[in-house]
Amino acid sequence: MTTISFELDTKLAALDVLCEQLEHFCAATGIPKKQKFEINLALDELFTNILSHGFRDARPHRIQISVSHAPRVVTIVIRDDGIPFNPLKAPAPELKCPFDDRKVGGLGIHLIRSYIDEMDYERCGRHNVLTLRKFLKN
Amino acid sequence: MDIIETKHDSYSVFKLTGRLDSNTSMGFEQQLFASIDSGARRLIIDFEGLDYISSAGLRVILKATKNLKTAQGKLVLCAMQDYVKEVFEISGFDSFLPIESSLEAAVTRL
Repeated sequence: MTTISFELDTKLAALDVLCEQLEHFCAATGIPKKQKFEINLALDELFTNILSHGFRDARPHRIQISVSHAPRVVTIVIRDDGIPFNPLKAPAPELKCPFDDRKVGGLGIHLIRSYIDEMDYERCGRHNVLTLRKFLKN
Repeated sequence: MDIIETKHDSYSVFKLTGRLDSNTSMGFEQQLFASIDSGARRLIIDFEGLDYISSAGLRVILKATKNLKTAQGKLVLCAMQDYVKEVFEISGFDSFLPIESSLEAAVTRL
């Protein structure tokens, strides 16, 4: 099994660090471009969600991420010390409504659900711990 | 992300290269809306060089589409990589946005 662990600052520029880390990880494990894109997108949406809603103080925070590759499955764990937030309970967006009523809210979570096969949420003490599993099809 | 805007007689093309995420979407929004505010009504966004898009990018495109609809303009997208196009399909954006396979087809569609 190959695992990488890293921390991201709570600022948008950290998205570039996330991208670089995933580039290295996917090169080392042979994960193809499309799956790399999907993993990057899921992590990006979760990270930006935590940034937008997770913190109510101005203190610096760090978001811890680990990504592991075992045969046919990638497991991602994201840990933050923001306010309790379970993305599994977020409402699904309205995708079929008339164009004029379309909103972007909730689309991030919808994309995560589309690209990730399993998600578990736990509140551990002062931390949100979200575990994602993506199965790699042949 | 690099944004190159090319003005033609009756339309403008925005060619995107790189990654359209929360970090870059604000710059793109400013440039796109500067063009709309100065009177551009027929726009093409060329995705050929775009490797990545997140919901932050979709937000800008939805906003521009609504704005142009009110102004009786038109927005056409083109030349997306398959996995970028899939993001538009999963989000249901392909139901209201024309997505063409090439820049030439997008110009015809405008």
